Amino acid sequence: MQRILIVEDSATMRALLTSSLEVLETPVKITEAESGFEALRLLPRHAFDLIVTDINMPDINGLELLSFVKSDARYREIPLVVVSTEGSERDRDKGLGLGADSYLVKPFDPEALREVARDLLARPRQDG
Amino acid sequence: MSGSGNASLEGKALREFVSEAEEILDQLLTDLADLFDQRSSLDSDAEVDPDLVNRVFRSAHSLKGLAGMFGLDAIGDLAHHLEDVLDGLRLGRIEMDSPAVSLLESVVLLLVSLLEGVGDPDREAAARETASAKIEELRSALQEAPAEEEGFSNLSIDPQLLRALTEYEEHRLRESIRRGRHLSLVDSVFEMVSFEEGLAELSAAIREVGEVVSTLPSPGDSPERQIRFSLLVATQISVDQLRTRLELPNTTVQSVLVPAEPQDTPEDPSPSEQATQAPVPPETDPLPSAETPPSSGESDGAVAEGEAKSPDIASLRSISGTVRVDIAKLDELMNLVGELVIQRAAIEEIASKLAREALTTHIGQELTKANRLLDRKLKELQAGVLEVRMVPLRQVFEKLSRVVRRLRRDLDKDVALEFSGADTELDKLIVEQLVDPLMHIVRNAVDHAIEPEEERATCGKPRQGMIHIEASQRGNYVLVEVRDDGRGLDPTLIRARAEEMDLVDPSEVLSEKEIFDLLFLPGFSTRSEVSETSGRGVGMDVVRSNLTSLGGIVELRSDLGRGTAVTLTLPITLAIIRALVVVVGDHRYAIPLNSVLETLLIADGEIQRSEGREILNLRGQPLLLRRLSEELEIEETERPQKQYVVVLGLGDLRLGLVVDRIAGQQDAVIKPIRGPIQQIRGIAGATELGDQGAVLVLDIASLVEDAVRRKECA
Repeated sequence: MQRILIVEDSATMRALLTSSLEVLETPVKITEAESGFEALRLLPRHAFDLIVTDINMPDINGLELLSFVKSDARYREIPLVVVSTEGSERDRDKGLGLGADSYLVKPFDPEALREVARDLLARPRQDG
Repeated sequence: MSGSGNASLEGKALREFVSEAEEILDQLLTDLADLFDQRSSLDSDAEVDPDLVNRVFRSAHSLKGLAGMFGLDAIGDLAHHLEDVLDGLRLGRIEMDSPAVSLLESVVLLLVSLLEGVGDPDREAAARETASAKIEELRSALQEAPAEEEGFSNLSIDPQLLRALTEYEEHRLRESIRRGRHLSLVDSVFEMVSFEEGLAELSAAIREVGEVVSTLPSPGDSPERQIRFSLLVATQISVDQLRTRLELPNTTVQSVLVPAEPQDTPEDPSPSEQATQAPVPPETDPLPSAETPPSSGESDGAVAEGEAKSPDIASLRSISGTVRVDIAKLDELMNLVGELVIQRAAIEEIASKLAREALTTHIGQELTKANRLLDRKLKELQAGVLEVRMVPLRQVFEKLSRVVRRLRRDLDKDVALEFSGADTELDKLIVEQLVDPLMHIVRNAVDHAIEPEEERATCGKPRQGMIHIEASQRGNYVLVEVRDDGRGLDPTLIRARAEEMDLVDPSEVLSEKEIFDLLFLPGFSTRSEVSETSGRGVGMDVVRSNLTSLGGIVELRSDLGRGTAVTLTLPITLAIIRALVVVVGDHRYAIPLNSVLETLLIADGEIQRSEGREILNLRGQPLLLRRLSEELEIEETERPQKQYVVVLGLGDLRLGLVVDRIAGQQDAVIKPIRGPIQQIRGIAGATELGDQGAVLVLDIASLVEDAVRRKECA
């Protein structure tokens, strides 16, 4: 089963992201992280196939997490979607510049998120 | 969630949203209050805590995102505009004293009330209107400075780190450069298993002297078990000083910028000026410009001089208006004042001894005079320190009203909460310890006392339940009463439950008040299951012991079917008391003077005895008497013909305490007692009285309470 890591500090938003992705046609296992730090701890524990992260978080922000993921050979290939609130266009450009595979704006349309997730989960990965 | 049509998802998550949104708004209100506090205590150019500003922004930001997901447009739009102002504030485009900032609190309060209307179509429609009016108001008050656009080409920082900076972090970096702070890169490698603790420690150490602008993680040398963090740090102290301060293993501190002279007019950051004072990369020689002072790294003196000119440092030297003080420091001051008061009493003793001796009469009188003046000044000092500790109950009330709002939703009960006397002031320490007991009483009221709407309608009560909290000052005490118009307490049920729990013998006759008192016994509950709402936190027994430890009492009245009132009586302060020293046998005791109404000298014949009680007719009113010797089980010497009665008053309760002698008044600082005596009911603590050594202070609240309760038993 494919595994998705959701990184989001708001409990409600986390629940919304999870429930949006739970109903993908191919069953997925979802792991939630409440903070960037928690994501850093979870990353080595499971082989994730997709990361969905917020940007504005208290300890390390989503861009910093993204930078970490892309700089570590073990995680570099994991596709990453940023889901952030509109109005931070510069952050959006930065996210894509740092190697995010997709950038969704909150409030997000669950179907649009599923669309992106389906696409990225189906993408062949070099690290297997 | 427009267009998705995932109705069940929304329904399920809406409650979660409301509760999270309430938490966010709670936090926002607290943080905003802190922010304005800081603002008022700083000089015009000094900076408020950027972490605080950013947290406030993040709250608004999260709320906007959440509201958007539920299609709550009014809340979403208003939160969006709130976010805009806060974004401007954290990015330095809006000043703290801008008119838009002064609107913030009203916006948050409006959001709170909008949130209450969620789910009610009529209120939601009205909400949209109030929200747009507020948004208009915000818009017209908003004047933003243009965004900053310059890059950081002159910094020697890893470009990856710069790329991962959010807009806000970029702004903090610019602001630090503008304020002439030293920038460094702190690189530290942590074990994967404990990086959070290590990083928290490091960040805390840095925050003592500056700001962590960003925290970038990267894989360590052995990525399986290590992780590296690169912290971009801005400090007032030099990079060398920072390095010495941190001195942690696996940590390096590198300079990425030598500070230029901060601008003299930071209110007007014109680009040309910034250009002339561009930061200097570390490897380059300092610019030989007239505006730039000799740069750091050459001599510490030069650094210090540069720092002295920094606006932040300057502001530290001339803080005006308000300061925030740790309550522990006030405690320390209070203790010192207390010691002084005791020393003064000792001097008074010496003075009167001197005055009594023929040889030293004159000098004794002089000393008495000087001592009296000292006394007056000490009293002023004492009053001053006390006053600093006093805070209005309003903050507690606001906290309670947020709890009630949450409960109202969780329990689906329509309850209104009303306050009066929110300006009543109490010692900060007492106020803090009052929160838990009050919270419990209010939860009880909403959860158990107020009936469901239908039940209320059947009894002919208004559908909406009402809780009223009233605070008032009575002399040196403050009364806080929580009244509800709920179902009231049923003495029969309470009694039955108490018998079931073997707390009361079925044959025992109990008055209604005594039955209600059973509720304060440890572990007593009339519900077999602990309710989710009042189950957490404390029971009524804990409410009572909390109150007793504050030198207060709790009383409960109830009218079956009509409601319950819980009254808390609290001393205004815990610190210094004026005490009446009384003597029983060979022992001296101190009675806090604030609970003494009067003292009487009576003949034994004036005491009336009935049913084992002693009663004094005091101006036509019966006054219950207790002998202190009996209360404390002190062996009584021969009963004198004339006896002294100290009339104690606590709230509306009266008690006459019979003692052998009254030794006078003294100032006393109550100190808690440790060890076995700590547990003795009736003793509040110990105090030192000038040359008379340590003396026990009577706990009037428990003495009066016990006596009055026994009266009812008898």
